[in-house]
Amino acid sequence: MILELEGLRHRYGEELAIEDVSFGLEEGELLGLLGPSGCGKTTIVQAIAGHVRPTAGRVFLRGRDVTGEPPETRRVGIVFQRSTLYPHMTVGENVAYGLVSRDVDPDRRGALVEEYLELVDLHGRREAYPSELSGGQRRRVELARALAPRPDVLVLDEPLSALDRRLRRQLRGEIARIQRETGVTTLVVTHDQEEAMALADRLVVMNAGRVVGVDRPRTLYESPPTPFVASFLGRSNAVPATVVGRHPLSVTLGGREVAFDDGPDVPAGTTVSCHVRPEDVSIHPPHVAVPGTDPVLSGEVRHVEDVGRRYDVTVAVETGDELLVETSSDPPAVGDRVAVALSGDRVTVFDDGSSAAETS
Amino acid sequence: MSYPDPPESRIGRPGRLPELLVPGLLGALILLFFAVPFAAFLARTGAVGVLETLATPEARAAIRNSLLTAPVSTAIATVLGVPLAYVLARRSFPGKRLVEALVILPLIVPPVVGGAMLLTAVGRFTPIGAAAAAAGMPLTDSLLGVILAQTFVAAPFVIITARAGFGAIDERLEQASRSLGYGPLATFWNVSVPLARGAIVAGIVLTFARAIGEFGATMMVAYNPRTMPTRIWVEFIAGGIDAVVPLALALLGITLAVLAAVQRFGRVPTVIDR
Repeated sequence: MILELEGLRHRYGEELAIEDVSFGLEEGELLGLLGPSGCGKTTIVQAIAGHVRPTAGRVFLRGRDVTGEPPETRRVGIVFQRSTLYPHMTVGENVAYGLVSRDVDPDRRGALVEEYLELVDLHGRREAYPSELSGGQRRRVELARALAPRPDVLVLDEPLSALDRRLRRQLRGEIARIQRETGVTTLVVTHDQEEAMALADRLVVMNAGRVVGVDRPRTLYESPPTPFVASFLGRSNAVPATVVGRHPLSVTLGGREVAFDDGPDVPAGTTVSCHVRPEDVSIHPPHVAVPGTDPVLSGEVRHVEDVGRRYDVTVAVETGDELLVETSSDPPAVGDRVAVALSGDRVTVFDDGSSAAETS
Repeated sequence: MSYPDPPESRIGRPGRLPELLVPGLLGALILLFFAVPFAAFLARTGAVGVLETLATPEARAAIRNSLLTAPVSTAIATVLGVPLAYVLARRSFPGKRLVEALVILPLIVPPVVGGAMLLTAVGRFTPIGAAAAAAGMPLTDSLLGVILAQTFVAAPFVIITARAGFGAIDERLEQASRSLGYGPLATFWNVSVPLARGAIVAGIVLTFARAIGEFGATMMVAYNPRTMPTRIWVEFIAGGIDAVVPLALALLGITLAVLAAVQRFGRVPTVIDR
């Protein structure tokens, strides 16, 4: 493990920011730390960098306990959401700044600055001042500055949030390339699930100061461990169902009995919630039997949104819930009576209100 | 086809008041209030021999004393005040309110009262004052006394302006410096000071102007040796307004020259790595 957090907890005064946060990064890995604003991500970044001394728990860098050490003795490269380039130094001086403190000799320093500016495709701008650069170029200089001293771990704290959509996409690709080329162990902190899924080898999902899921992005997306992960990673629909049997778990939903390989171990009669993604729901004409064993609910179309490459159809179903359905063509009209079928094998069952859940 | 006038054309329509008319007029009044006494005073210049007066031994001694003391007071205020400003900008701690009140205390106390306070602390018959006098460094009626008075009155300016300057720096810039391998002191020096340079320089200029012009506290603590302001007072008592003009002009000239020099010096870019 390059970086390891062990049972991190921090409170600001009375307010608990993070509780029992543990995860680690393997050498060369790109880990995404994902969660909504205010979930404690920033506190974790500050604890890793050494600006916050956690109330409890430990931080290890390359196996060394650095919890009590100041930021300057840790080899952590950091890029924050807003630019922290020094306006009174040129691009070259900014990149060299972290080399000077580590006593890299001047010749070698110059070569390294060239090398890292080349890496981020800015070798011609060495003499420029940050104010002369575009927002995207500034981001790249910051990456070069953070990488030049060869940190043990690179922490990118919401690195793309301050940029516009087009630039965000472009820089996302750049970050992936730079990480691949340098092989630096990287932690990307973001609230943007698309960014996290696109970049990360593994994801740590947080909510309200706690880790609520750690896995590969695809695994978390397809079999979310908690309802929060289900709704935060992509979009999700929840409908209640009643358990009718254990081992295997089976529930009645939409007039059909559906069995699951996995799910909460709860007695018959318990109400559970079934989560399904909009792309795993299909719309059918009413009063026509849908073949197969998928649960079918009848409802009425409330809202149709044309978002270009698909339609988002909102259907109010018999359970009283509203389901979001993605369909690529022939959307129904608002007010139509329809039947919606949930792909049984794509449904995840959660014990209602708790986070005990299916794991597969 | 005819269109109604576009709304833009109204801007130039006669009869509409310019937007800044009212604040502009009010501002002009205060400017006039500044300018008239200044101009009237300068108009006296022709009536007296400025250079002859300045050449007298008394005037030269006063100028020398002021030029010796004010830079020292400014340096003390800067060296001790800028770090305090940084602490106040970056940390909250119990009793911070009290510290902040203490910083502005010399501003709200009349200088003459400030001088009286200094006398009660370091006057000739206090333990500190007696010890210093015994050591051959009297703290009253000496250049040291002048420096104490000037520093007491003028230091808040650099502390308050520098604090605002530090406060405007995004703390993340300092955090980035720490993560790039610099300790708190090196970070303060490499990042915080250069980024707050404008505010610090402005504070230094204000402090210097206040120190070299200090009269009330100086008069209490060290009426002798004479500085330019105390000399101006003596001249005024003896010879009225016209007698004041030469030294007042010299004081103004010095302050303006220092302002120009410090601003020029302050604009030189700090280069970390060359």
